[in-house]
Amino acid sequence: MTTKDWLTGATALLCFLGTSAATAEPLIAYSPQGEERAVWIAEQAQSAGHDVTILAAGGGELFDRILAERANPQADVVFGLIDAAMATLKAEGLFQPYVPKWAEGLPEVYRDDADHMVYKFWQTPVVIAYNADALTEADAPASWLQLVEDRYAGKYVIGPTTWQTTKTYLVGMLLRFADEDGEISDAGWDFMQELYDNAIVADSADAKTAAFVNDEAVIDLNWFGGVGRLAENVGYKAVMVDTEGGTPFIAEGIAIMKGTDQLDDAKAFVDWFGSPEFMAAYAAEFGQVPVHPDAIAAAPDAVRRNATLLQPQPIDWDVVAPRIDGWIQRIELDIR
Amino acid sequence: MTLSGIGRVPLVRSILLTVVIWCAVSFIYAPIFSVLRFAFAPEGDISLGAVGELAGSRRVRTAIVNTLIVTGLSIITVNVVGIFQVAVLEYLKIGGRGFLRFAYSTPLIFVSVAAATGYGFVYGQTGALTRLLQSAWPALPNDWFAGIQAVVFAHTFLLTSFHFLFLRAAIRRVDYSTVEAARGLGATNLEAFVRVVLPVLLPTVFATTLLVTYKSLGSFAIPAVLGGRRFDMVTELILTLNALRRPDMAAMLSIGLGIAVILCIAAMQYVERRGSYIGGSKTPVPIERIRIANPVVNVAVHAAAYAIAVIQLVPIALVILFSLAPARSIGTEVLPSSLTLKNYVTVFSQNTAFVPLKNSLLMGASATVAGILISLFVVNLAHRYTNIGTTSLDLSFMVPWILPAPFIAVGLILTYDEPNLLVANRVLLGGFWILPIGYAIVSIPIMMRFLRAAFFSLDPALNEAAQSLGAPAHYRFLRVTMPLVLPVVILIGAMTLNGILSEYSMSAFLFNVNNKPLSIALFEGARSSNPEQAAINLVYITLIMAFSLVIITLADKYGLGGGK
Repeated sequence: MTTKDWLTGATALLCFLGTSAATAEPLIAYSPQGEERAVWIAEQAQSAGHDVTILAAGGGELFDRILAERANPQADVVFGLIDAAMATLKAEGLFQPYVPKWAEGLPEVYRDDADHMVYKFWQTPVVIAYNADALTEADAPASWLQLVEDRYAGKYVIGPTTWQTTKTYLVGMLLRFADEDGEISDAGWDFMQELYDNAIVADSADAKTAAFVNDEAVIDLNWFGGVGRLAENVGYKAVMVDTEGGTPFIAEGIAIMKGTDQLDDAKAFVDWFGSPEFMAAYAAEFGQVPVHPDAIAAAPDAVRRNATLLQPQPIDWDVVAPRIDGWIQRIELDIR
Repeated sequence: MTLSGIGRVPLVRSILLTVVIWCAVSFIYAPIFSVLRFAFAPEGDISLGAVGELAGSRRVRTAIVNTLIVTGLSIITVNVVGIFQVAVLEYLKIGGRGFLRFAYSTPLIFVSVAAATGYGFVYGQTGALTRLLQSAWPALPNDWFAGIQAVVFAHTFLLTSFHFLFLRAAIRRVDYSTVEAARGLGATNLEAFVRVVLPVLLPTVFATTLLVTYKSLGSFAIPAVLGGRRFDMVTELILTLNALRRPDMAAMLSIGLGIAVILCIAAMQYVERRGSYIGGSKTPVPIERIRIANPVVNVAVHAAAYAIAVIQLVPIALVILFSLAPARSIGTEVLPSSLTLKNYVTVFSQNTAFVPLKNSLLMGASATVAGILISLFVVNLAHRYTNIGTTSLDLSFMVPWILPAPFIAVGLILTYDEPNLLVANRVLLGGFWILPIGYAIVSIPIMMRFLRAAFFSLDPALNEAAQSLGAPAHYRFLRVTMPLVLPVVILIGAMTLNGILSEYSMSAFLFNVNNKPLSIALFEGARSSNPEQAAINLVYITLIMAFSLVIITLADKYGLGGGK
């Protein structure tokens, strides 16, 4: 994307950012943080001596924008996109290798030992939760694969596949049917068909909420923070299940854009942002679970408990990322 | 393109001509070319891979089957209801004709996404009628109104506008002496209607049937709002394919829909050309409405006539009533217990509620103005100089008339999702203007049809008189032609704006966060479980209907028909 194109769709703010990138003033970071979180991060960065401007927008929108700007990248650093998106951008050759200082001590699954480009800093599980007012622990599903059983027919909601959450649990389930090359077996697609046939398929957040309000759905497939929010809105007590075979985790990563003209500043920002000190501070402020063991140790008690609540399902996103579009297409066109 | 005397035309007109040709190339031919290229040669080489993949997809096959079933059933039900309505209004003596005519005319103002949302509000999960039925029959599930039957039901009572407009006009042309003759020979009322009246109406029935087919094949808002879980029709699937980043399959499916629609239109043209035949004498005796002798039949016909009227009026009445009710009564009361103007105040005072209305008005107004200017220029040019250049320009702007909106929308997306030299190397997708461009492109053919009629009814002597008095062309256009066609122009403008307020097909493909239009706000509101949002929706629908009512009354007064 050229500078001219920027002017077409961009708001005044974006134009301002575009020109400021050219004059190499503050560092430009793209991040799908909410407005409030982005402002807080920018303030903290400022007081730590990093002059950074954060462009906050939806994850999908930022992802598309980064790909569109590949000929003329506007960002210096990207952080907060989830595993699959970061893996795709890396595969497209948009990142610059850099091993942050805090990489040491990071569990292997959050490091990028092959390419040294993308390092993860916090995580969110995508869980099965049930309405404890309507279902007992014994009756709740103990694993994702049990959802296709008759007793759960019409009891859970599958959201739109455009949602990161939906994509994540669908991928998590499909991967249990993958061979070494990452191909999904016929049994896997049959399972997916049963999963959809047994579900309430919602095409909006409101349709999903309605299914819970009407007491049809009692099992929530949702990201960690979303479980509590839905339960609170609808008015029930939600309990999360530590499933057999593990729970898929989404982790958010940080990387430096290839071609940045402020490589040193970018490295300094990455080192500061992912540091256990700042991660612990962020956890205290927003309740997000960091992945660095030192950050977890320094985080508030509630966050520490959440960090060990569920067993993660091992997923190699570098292998999975290029296949997701095809899988989602097959689900949308043949199964849904 | 060759225009006679192009060397003599003034500079202004050359500039205008360049702009208009650029519009045709950029926004009609380039999108069509993109659709064809992506459908048949996505990778550069000719390939029919998209056809195979479409045929292989279970959901695509189901959507095509659904569309065909819905269309087949709709043709039958709409004709039954529509012909019955026309018989009730024009052939039979039925008490309360004025009321029935009012009820039967409501599909003219209750259209597209507004009507779909209105039906959803009444029959949907939290609908007043659903609550009422459940109080009598508790086992009725919340989502009883969904799938094929819901869509066909909505079509049945929303697509009768063509019968109301055209079939009623046709039955008035029936020679009553032929009906009397048949009855004198011993035919019953029904026999006389079926054997004498209906054959005369047949060409019109056939034409309205094709219009219903055309509408049903491209039905979008109604299945999207009322279809429910896991129910798709073809237009919705084109949108899904587009979202799944399969432009090749989206383009191919829209070509399939386009072919079906073009066949419909071709058949319609053929029938129109043959349909000039009208039986009977040159001076037909006006039809006299017949009293039904058999009391049982009479009661039955009255009951059916009023039942249809009630079905058509109840959703509208409930929408207006609940738009005046506190939000909390939505979904909890069958009829509101108190009334307030609070929802209207919210729409006009709260930014988030007002923005979609503002966006639609802004985009509608700019699309209408641009469309009118282009139509005026092209029609005027084609009217004054008939040659291959002006004719092909004229026909170019008529092309979108035979293409379904999703086809053009997919074309615009595929052409302008990356920098394009035609628009100074910019990306239009994701911006504000791509949607008004789409609106204008699909509005221009109707504008041109009406403007052409207006131009042809002008007395050429007036223009010649001005010319002989030495008035130059632009002066003649502004001082002679314009004042004469201005009422038509204003009315067409208002009708177009009215249509755009509830336009869903183009909007669903091209809208984004910068320009979310009213129709999309209505659609999102229809799925919302929040009563405040539902209340805002009802205000929108009421406003759209009120606006339509004014426009259509005016159009009727000035003899432009319903315009649809």
